Amino acid sequence: MIDIDSVSVKLGTRQILHDVSLSASSGKLTAIIGPNGSGKSTLLKALCRDHAYSGVISIDGRDIAGMSPLEIASLRAVLPQSSNLPFPFTVREVVAMGLTAGRPGVDRRALHHLPEEALNRVDLGGFGGRFYGELSGGEQQRVQLARVLCQVWEPVIDGVPRYLFLDEPVSSLDIKHQLMIMDVAKRFARLGGGVIAVLHDLNLTALYADAILALRDGRVVASGRPEKVLTDAVLEQVFDVPLRVGVAPRAGTRFVLPQSVEMAARASVA
Amino acid sequence: MDSTMPLAASGARTRPDGDRSHIGRITVIALVFALLAAMVLSMTTGASGASLGNFLGALISGSEGADALRDYAVIVNIRLPRMVLGVLIGAGLAVSGLLMQGLFRNPLADPGLVGVSSGAALGAVVIIVLGGTAMAPFTTALGIWSLPAAAFGGGLVTTFVLYRVATRGGQTAIATMLLAGIAIGALAGAFSGVLTYIASENQLRDLTFWGMGSLAGATWIKVLAAGPIIFAALVFAGFLAKGLNAMTLGEATASHLGVPVQRFKRITIVAVAAATGASVAVSGGIGFVGIVVPHLLRLAIGPDHRYLLPASALLGATFLLFCDALSRTVVAPAELPIGIVTAAFGGPFFLWILLHRRSAFAW
Repeated sequence: MIDIDSVSVKLGTRQILHDVSLSASSGKLTAIIGPNGSGKSTLLKALCRDHAYSGVISIDGRDIAGMSPLEIASLRAVLPQSSNLPFPFTVREVVAMGLTAGRPGVDRRALHHLPEEALNRVDLGGFGGRFYGELSGGEQQRVQLARVLCQVWEPVIDGVPRYLFLDEPVSSLDIKHQLMIMDVAKRFARLGGGVIAVLHDLNLTALYADAILALRDGRVVASGRPEKVLTDAVLEQVFDVPLRVGVAPRAGTRFVLPQSVEMAARASVA
Repeated sequence: MDSTMPLAASGARTRPDGDRSHIGRITVIALVFALLAAMVLSMTTGASGASLGNFLGALISGSEGADALRDYAVIVNIRLPRMVLGVLIGAGLAVSGLLMQGLFRNPLADPGLVGVSSGAALGAVVIIVLGGTAMAPFTTALGIWSLPAAAFGGGLVTTFVLYRVATRGGQTAIATMLLAGIAIGALAGAFSGVLTYIASENQLRDLTFWGMGSLAGATWIKVLAAGPIIFAALVFAGFLAKGLNAMTLGEATASHLGVPVQRFKRITIVAVAAATGASVAVSGGIGFVGIVVPHLLRLAIGPDHRYLLPASALLGATFLLFCDALSRTVVAPAELPIGIVTAAFGGPFFLWILLHRRSAFAW
């Protein structure tokens, strides 16, 4: 369980987050949604200790402020929005960096083939020998996901869950790989790990999230199960545009349909 | 994420695609032999005809002929300290360059290019010129270590200032770094100029010789003064390899991977300043080793610092001994300052990097 308890973040003189609270349990994929500048990424950065914050963030009851980088690295991995590398590393070398913290009690040789398995999981089997800098943006993002998976390969170790923090993990990917990456994340959650993902795409959110936190202007607008957050009223309040939420007839999943204000106005005139 | 752990590797171990660790290992071993060869070359090259054979023969037979004594003196008091100093400084300069490139996430960072050497030189000039007067308490207290210590201090201040100026939120802009380096170097150079202006005749001669960069004045005292500092920096650098790899992904990601980033940066900066400072203090400005050596090795074995660090130390030492042997033979019996030789290799090499690998840098 990740507990975020009335966290506020101030960058310079600007207050970015106001008293945000969230409980994200293991076994679930929790999505953070909101318009640009609503503080989604800032919240994730506070969670990663990249930003100073006030309030308390704890992992399974332990305040993260007091944990060493190595300790935290063994409990959670973070996928950044994008990463470029100044040196010509091969794909395998990048993925193997996920093992930087090592694994206490596990023989190094036993981890030798983990990068290959992680690459297979993100559909990049056979890419190990390619140079990272020569891949497309979408491929690089999947390499990074493989690296992150290497760091927390088992969602649960000895009953202790581990976590994936994803910052807009699919924003540069085509639809096939969006679904693939979200499937990987969902699987991690289903096997007992916890996932917190900042997402832009409301339909992917509807399809994958077990819980949703909706932010606007650094404040929580709604939080909880998708049925509660993905409603016309809440979404309009969050994004400031008319949106219609429907339920797919057979699958039963929700979907979100944007409504153009201008077209609606023109239609009413006609 | 399967519930059964696939960790126990079954069957024969194959080398996965993109794993270059074997190339790194082989290169490090080969470089050990290259360094040994360079050490022999260094011991047998020189203006006097002293030969290692005579010396060893005398050592074994215990003969005390005039030739044997002279060769003993040449080898033990002149060539040996020069070789030891060459190994230490070559390794120190190459590793400093590599550490800076990792810290700044930039293949063009080098203590000589971005003003760190100038800062270290300023520290040394202060001691050379003011050692007998204003800085007398400092020199009395530190003795032979006052020169390297002052150069270390100068290097530390410049590296720190450079880092603060060029890095915002863990990202270093290459243009900012190079320009800041030029500015800092110029500033340090200006102060050195002022001190040179007020220097006495004798001090001026010291400054000129020292400034050109040379191993010619190597003595056991200098080895004792700079050696432990460089050696300590090299040992510390050895622990930074994994962190340097992680740092290439950016500071934030390195921290997410478990690297204690703030402490890591402090250790790196101190190691760079120590190795550069101590080298500059005893040998003046020897440029380009820190950029040529890591760059060549990155082409050969890839950027994995676990192999790049030892390989850079070994190749740096080999390269400097080779340049030193060259500097002693091209215009024998006189000798060229070694800084000129390394610059003659390094300048064109640097231009070559710029022309051929421009696309690899985020200009």
